[in-house]
Amino acid sequence: MFKKSLLILVSIVMILSLAPATLSAQGDPIVIGFLPGVVDPFYQVMELGVNAAAEDMGVQIITQIPQTWGVEVQTPILDAMIARGDLDYLIIAPTDKDQMIGPLEAALDAGIQVITVDTFLGDGDYVNGPVTFPISYIGSDNVEGGRIAARGLAAAIGGTGKVYINSTNPNVSSVEGRAVGFNEVMANEYPDIEVVGLDFNLDDPARATEQTAAVIAREPDLAGVFGTNVFSAQGAGQAVIQAGLGGQVQVVAYDATQLAIENLRAGVVSLVLAQKPFDMGYMAVQFAVAHAAGVTSLPKRVQTGFAIIDINNVDDPAIARFIYQVP
Amino acid sequence: MAVAKGSAPQSGEPSKRGDRRRQLVLTLSRVWAWAFLGLLIAFFVITVPLSSNGSVNFLTVRNSQNILMAIVSVLLLGLGQTFVIITAGIDLSVGHMMSLASVVSALVLREVFNAGVPLFPAVAIGLLAALATAALVGFLQGSIIARLKVPAFIVTLGGGFVLRGVALLMSDNSTVIGLPPGVRDYGNESLMYFIPGDSGGLYFFNRPEVSGELVRSMDRILPYPVIIAAIVVILMAFLLRRTAFGRHTYAIGGNQEAALRAGIPVDRHLIQLYMLSASTAAVAGFLSTLRFTAGSAVIGDPLLMSSIAAVIIGGVSLAGGAGSIIGTVIGALIVAVLTTGLVMLNVQAFWQFIVIGIVIIVAVLIDQSRDLIVSRMRSGA
Repeated sequence: MFKKSLLILVSIVMILSLAPATLSAQGDPIVIGFLPGVVDPFYQVMELGVNAAAEDMGVQIITQIPQTWGVEVQTPILDAMIARGDLDYLIIAPTDKDQMIGPLEAALDAGIQVITVDTFLGDGDYVNGPVTFPISYIGSDNVEGGRIAARGLAAAIGGTGKVYINSTNPNVSSVEGRAVGFNEVMANEYPDIEVVGLDFNLDDPARATEQTAAVIAREPDLAGVFGTNVFSAQGAGQAVIQAGLGGQVQVVAYDATQLAIENLRAGVVSLVLAQKPFDMGYMAVQFAVAHAAGVTSLPKRVQTGFAIIDINNVDDPAIARFIYQVP
Repeated sequence: MAVAKGSAPQSGEPSKRGDRRRQLVLTLSRVWAWAFLGLLIAFFVITVPLSSNGSVNFLTVRNSQNILMAIVSVLLLGLGQTFVIITAGIDLSVGHMMSLASVVSALVLREVFNAGVPLFPAVAIGLLAALATAALVGFLQGSIIARLKVPAFIVTLGGGFVLRGVALLMSDNSTVIGLPPGVRDYGNESLMYFIPGDSGGLYFFNRPEVSGELVRSMDRILPYPVIIAAIVVILMAFLLRRTAFGRHTYAIGGNQEAALRAGIPVDRHLIQLYMLSASTAAVAGFLSTLRFTAGSAVIGDPLLMSSIAAVIIGGVSLAGGAGSIIGTVIGALIVAVLTTGLVMLNVQAFWQFIVIGIVIIVAVLIDQSRDLIVSRMRSGA
């Protein structure tokens, strides 16, 4: 039985391995893969941008959104997308700035040009940094976003007190940059503000709630929380509401989800930083099309900027259009 | 699990029809996982080119190697687990054990290399450090389970949390980077390279120095992590099928009391099983360090459920006493073929969860009807 099954298994592997490779016909329309980090409103809006650009420019998009964040989840999907054999470009938000270098070099080897959105590889400097193969990195200036968040939170708490950062995952360029900028401003500009901790919720809003609740319990005089993305801000806001401290513990939320805006109106969140995921998605497709047409002067770094939303401008249509609208 | 205690054998001669049906169920229970895998592959072979107007094919060399590469982690987590579940236990800590092993091997490898040890021995020492950590973890968890009689579910659930915390502490809440650049080759290069066409050929061990279209058409055959996983599979299959260790594993799973009376050192054996389970997880963590050229404290977490699914789909009974290594390999292949095939069909990959969920339940149903029939046959005709 054992020998027989081993034999069958070996033959399956052989068949899989040695089946004649059918050369994939290179069709005319450009085929672009889109592989963001995880299912959340931020990337869903980015997908809207990708699809809008695809329609405008007549290219085909293959979208896969991982259900959880992580290189072990993103890589098999990436490998399968490469194995399709028909992709010309890949728009990806790498889930780790170091670990995803190898798998994405494999994409390059397979003839697929890479554009990173939201997060970057290496240090994000695709001109002089350790990683230079991607066409471009299109995303917010996250360090600057962290600075804006810090100044916003400092103003909301009157420039003094204890603050706490809830983040998602270590070694992810986007949220890491936000924490760096936040800490830098607090250290240099606000000597009376103490940053009492940084936790990683691993992209789980329930865990973010637990962690923030625990910090509120530990630091009864906590004045503010910085949630570095969709899940962090959601959890931080929830914990403050549960503790009945809305308005007393100020929250600054990265990412303008509907929930963050509700919390802003309810007085729990004092400042929302809207990124421009639609722009990231749309421009990434444009860049791919331009690259295919032979454009060689595409910038290696595009900063998409922010809309800063507070209770005074949330109803201004010029600002409200940056709230993430997911169908 | 005695299913059919109350059901008396049918009076008179069992009808020919019933006989045949029983035979069918028995045959089905033996081959259905193979059949399902075959059907799945056939399904994707037909639908993938149809959905893409022939521009994408499922059965390519590159894709087959992807699928093999994609099963490595899930399979390694499932191999040790197979032994544990055969004894009616469970090890919920394997995902976090993989993460801890990834961090430990990366840290040790980096420090040893920086101290002047050449690359290959440094990598080997990294693996040994991961295995030593696993042995310690498995010994502690196994001892609490076997000697203090705390349910395995609780011990490994709690143990998993501890391992995650330790991994995050050791990695300083981040990814362990700064590994020597050659490490990436161990994790990403292959035994053979094949370039079709006149200017191509078959290359062994070293990646040919080519560029442009040739790179694009180059197939990598048998990546090193796949070879290492295959070696572990063969070792584990041998251990389970051909040694006293394997026979004792089945005996304990079949009836722990009887095994004890037969003179099998049950406690010691259980401790060894949890050490084994942690060790195959450690190999998975070590290989992920090579592949991603970094250690990560969160890398194994999302794989736990897939690995248990692979084991159950492969026919290992949660009630203990039954199961095989080949079954677990098939289970892992089914999971990987589904993910890859769905992506190639351009269907969102989370549909795999729905399919896998249904497959798990069907697997257990088939398992139970087999048990029912076997016990009827024994008590009846």
